[in-house]
Amino acid sequence: MSLTLSKRLSLKRFTKGEVTQQSVIKLNHRRIFILPNKAGLSLAVVILLMLIASINYNNSMGFVFTFLLASAAQVSTFYSFKNLSGLLISQTKTPVSYVGSTSQLKLIIKDTAGRERWAIKASHLDKHTSFNVQKSLSLLITLPITFKKRGWYTLDTITLSTTFPFGVFRAWSPLLFDQPILVYPQPIDSGLPLGSKQHNDEQSGAPSHQLGTDDFAGLKPYQQGENYRHINWKALAAEKGFYSNEFNAEQSSSIWIDWQSCGHLAIEAKISQLCFWVLHCETHSIEYGLRLPNIELLPNHGVNHQHACLKALALYEQT
Amino acid sequence: MSKRKQRPMSLQPIIIKLLIIIGVLLIIPHIGELPSSFIVVGFSLLGWRALTLWLPNTLPNKWLLLPLSIGLAFFVLKTFGMSLGRDASSSLLIVLMGLKLLESRSARDVQAVIYMSFFVLITPFLFEQRIEIALYSLSIFFLLLFSLVINNTHSSALKNPPLLRLSGFVLLQAFPLMLIFFLLFPRMIGPLWAMPDEQSAVSGISDSINPGTVSNLVLSDETAFRVRFNGTVPEQKDLYWRGPVFWETDGQSWTLTPPRKGSFERAAAIPNKSSDIQYTLMMEPHHQFWLYALDIPAAAPTNARLTHDHQLILAKKLSRNISFDIRSTTQKITTEPSNSDLKRALKIPDNTDPRVLALANKWAKTSSNNNDIVKRALQFFNDEFYYTLKPPSLGKNPVAEFLFESKRGFCGHFATSFATLMRVAGIPTRLIGGYQGGVYNKVGGFYNVRQADAHVWTEVWLGEKGWVRVDPTAAIAPNRIEHSIDPSLQRINRDINFLLTPRAGLQKWAQQLKWAINSFDYYWQNAVLAYGPEKQLDFLSKFGILDWGDMVTWLAVLSGLTLLTSISVVLILQKETHDPVQKAYLTLCKKLAKKIGTRLPHETSTDYFNRAIKHYPQKAELLTALQILYLKTRYGKGAEQVFIRNVRQLNLNGH
Repeated sequence: MSLTLSKRLSLKRFTKGEVTQQSVIKLNHRRIFILPNKAGLSLAVVILLMLIASINYNNSMGFVFTFLLASAAQVSTFYSFKNLSGLLISQTKTPVSYVGSTSQLKLIIKDTAGRERWAIKASHLDKHTSFNVQKSLSLLITLPITFKKRGWYTLDTITLSTTFPFGVFRAWSPLLFDQPILVYPQPIDSGLPLGSKQHNDEQSGAPSHQLGTDDFAGLKPYQQGENYRHINWKALAAEKGFYSNEFNAEQSSSIWIDWQSCGHLAIEAKISQLCFWVLHCETHSIEYGLRLPNIELLPNHGVNHQHACLKALALYEQT
Repeated sequence: MSKRKQRPMSLQPIIIKLLIIIGVLLIIPHIGELPSSFIVVGFSLLGWRALTLWLPNTLPNKWLLLPLSIGLAFFVLKTFGMSLGRDASSSLLIVLMGLKLLESRSARDVQAVIYMSFFVLITPFLFEQRIEIALYSLSIFFLLLFSLVINNTHSSALKNPPLLRLSGFVLLQAFPLMLIFFLLFPRMIGPLWAMPDEQSAVSGISDSINPGTVSNLVLSDETAFRVRFNGTVPEQKDLYWRGPVFWETDGQSWTLTPPRKGSFERAAAIPNKSSDIQYTLMMEPHHQFWLYALDIPAAAPTNARLTHDHQLILAKKLSRNISFDIRSTTQKITTEPSNSDLKRALKIPDNTDPRVLALANKWAKTSSNNNDIVKRALQFFNDEFYYTLKPPSLGKNPVAEFLFESKRGFCGHFATSFATLMRVAGIPTRLIGGYQGGVYNKVGGFYNVRQADAHVWTEVWLGEKGWVRVDPTAAIAPNRIEHSIDPSLQRINRDINFLLTPRAGLQKWAQQLKWAINSFDYYWQNAVLAYGPEKQLDFLSKFGILDWGDMVTWLAVLSGLTLLTSISVVLILQKETHDPVQKAYLTLCKKLAKKIGTRLPHETSTDYFNRAIKHYPQKAELLTALQILYLKTRYGKGAEQVFIRNVRQLNLNGH
C-alpha cells in the first residue's frame, strides 16, 4: 500500500494512525514513530550540564563520557524501534457488548522477527496495559472498554508504545482498525408488562413436525449446509457416516415484542425495554418476534434470531 | 501475562541493590580527593538505603528527608563556600545522589538517580584522568546503562542475559558517534567561567628550594613528563631538563621571582642549526607556570614564551596534559648578561656565615682564574661529602651547617651551597631546577622522566665561555653514596647510573611489563588526554578543518552519515530472513522457476515438487528426497543440514 505525499506527511498519521483495510497490521518503519519523552528531555539537560563541566575544565575524559552517554541514548532509538517493528497486531472479535457494560477489547500480538519484546504498552483512550512478548510467540492482550452509545462503535486509535530500553525515547505506533463493533442497547426493565401472548390458535398445543432445535426427535442423513452442531458425532465415531440429529421444536406460544407496548417511554428507554424483553424471552425459551416502526422480525428464537433483533434495536434510528 | 498498570509500579528491590552497588563504586575514586566527611556521608546514605531493603520501616519520610537535605546542603556550603568548583560540585552530587536514592519510591525517581550517577561518573576525571580510572568508569557506565534497562523493563532479576547483551551492544555501538564528537567537537570554547583555583599537591620542583627544612626528599616513581625525540637522541648524561631558574636567596632558601616583562623581550630565539634536537614533550599537569625543556631550549613552543634565562613560561598554570613540540640547542650562548643580571647573580645574603666567606675567599685568592675556583670547589665536595636522601635537618644557616658540619645531603644541598660559595668568590651563579636523566622505554620508544629524577644544579658565568652548567652533585665520589637508596628509584646523576645492575629472568620480564604499561599510558596521555584545543586544531588541520565553523559542519555531516548508515543497516537486516532452510528453499524455487515456472499461489511445496518431478522424471528420486526433507525441516527435526546440502548439490541441467 503506497501513500500519496500529502497523506505521508499528514499529522494524522503520527497521532491517529493510517486507516487499515486489513484486520492484521504489521508494524514497520512506516508505522513506528519515535521522539524523546520527558525523561529523555531531562537526560538532555543532564548531558548538557556534563558538557558544560567538561568544557569548563577542558577535560578529555569528561568529553568522552558525556558523548558516550549521548551516543548511547541515540543508539537506543534503534532498539526502541526494533522493540516494536515486526510485530503483527490483529484485532479479534469483541464479545457481545451492551451499552454501559464493560467489555474487553482483544488484540493478538505476535512476534514475527524472532526477537523478544519488552515493556510494550498498549493504550486505547485512557485504558492501558503493559506486556512483554516472547520470541516468535503470540500473546492475547485485553483492554477494558466501556460503551456509551448503541450502534456501530468505531474503535479509537489503539497506540502501542514503548520506552524500552532506556526510557528516554518513546517509540509508538498508532493503530486504527477498520472493524466496527456492534454495541447492543442497554437492557433496562421499566416494569411494563410484556406484550400479549399470542397463542397459535389453529394448532394449539399439538406437536407439529416443524424443525426446531429443542427436542431430540431422531437421526436423519446429514445434509450439506446443515449446522455442524447438529452432526451426530457418536454416529460418526461409530463409522456409520454423517447423520444429523433431528429436533422437534416445541410449537409453543410465541409473543410479539412491540414498540407500541411501551408507548409513553422515551426512545432510548423504549429500546432498552425492548432489549430487556428480547433477552428475557431468549433465556426463557419463548419464541418472540420484534416489531419496530418500519421493521418487523417474525417470531423465532435462537442465537441468530436474538442477534438479528438486538442488531435491529442497536441500529434503530442510527445514521 | 499482561499486567495492569494503573498506578506507578512499586520498585523491584533488585534495582535498588544495583544502584547501591553503583553508588559505592562511584564514591570509591573520590576517596582521598574529597574531604573524608563527604565520603562518609555518601556511604552512610547508601548504607541506610541498603538497610531499608531488609527493614522497610527505616525508610525515611519526607519530614525527615527535608531537614536532612537542607542540613547536608548547608554542610556543603559551609565547607566550600559559595564557589561551585570541582570539590564542591563533586561532593554535592554525591550527597544528592544518596538522598535521591533514599527517597526513591517509583521508577521515575530511580531514573533521576541514574542520571545523577552519570554525572558523578565524570567527576573523578576532574581530579585525575588515569587510564585505570577511565576503564573503571567505563564498566560503571555499562552498569548504569544496564540499570536503566532494568528500570524500564521492571525486570526482577539481575541475571538477564538478553538485557545484559543489549546494554553491551548499545555501549559498543555508541562508540563511533562518541569518537566523531570527541574529535570534532570544537574545544576552543574555553572555560565558560573562571574556576576557583584548586590545585592538587604540587609534585616535583616547586617555586622555592629550601634544603634547610627538607630532610626527606620524596622520591616517587610517578611520571613528570615523557619525551619522544625526533632524530638525534642526546646521551643520557646530557639529559638535563631545564625548569625554573633561581636568582634570589635569603641564605635559607632560594625563591623563584616571576620573570619580568623585560625578560621576555630580551629573550632572543636561537637560530636553527643542524645539531639542534627536536622532540615532543608530553607534560603531566604540575600546576605550575613553567615548562621543562632539554637544556637549552632554542625557541618557545605554542602557548609558551622564552625568557632571557632560558625558561619556558606558560600563559597559565598547567592543569591538564598538553604536549609541546620543542627545539633545543647544544650551542653555547655567550651573550653578555646585563649589569643588573650580574648583580643579581652575585648577591649574597647579609647573614652569610664567616666560615663560608673565608673558604670562598681563600679559593678566590689562590686561584688563577674562575675556572680554577670551580674546580677547587668540586674537588672539595668530592673529598669529603656524602650523598644521601635522608640528610640530617639543618638549622638557621643551612649552607654553613651543611658545608662544615653534616656534609650529607642531596642535590638541593650541593647546588645551593655551591652557588653560595661561587657568589662569595665573585663568580655570577644561578640555580636551575629541573630533572636529570630519564628511563628509556624500549616498548614505546620514549623517555620517561619521573619525579624521582628531580634535580637541582647551577650555572656559572665564565666570561668568554658564557653560562656553564656545573652539577656539584655529580662530583660526589661514588663510594660515598649511601646504599640505603633504592637503586631503581635513585638515579640522580650519571655517576649513580651504574648502580642499576642488569636484570635477569623474572625481573627482566617485570621490567618489560612496566615499560609496556608505561608506553600504553604514554599513548593514552598523548592521544586522549592531551587532545585539547591546540592538539585538535593541529590534528584536524591535516584534514583541512581549520576553524570551529568547519568543525561544526563536519560534525553535522559525519554524525548524520553515521545515523543514516545505522538506519539503513537496521532496515536491511529487518528484511533479511535469518532461516537458512528457508533461504535454501527459496533458492531451490528460483532454480525450478526457470524450468517449470514459478510456484503458483495455490500450490503447496509438495504440489510444486510433484510438478517438478513430472517435469524431470529422471531426477524423481532426488526431488522426492528434497520434498520429504523439506517437510521434515518444517515439521520435524534435524534435517536442516541435509536439506541445505542437497539443495546445493542439485543440478537440474546435468544427468
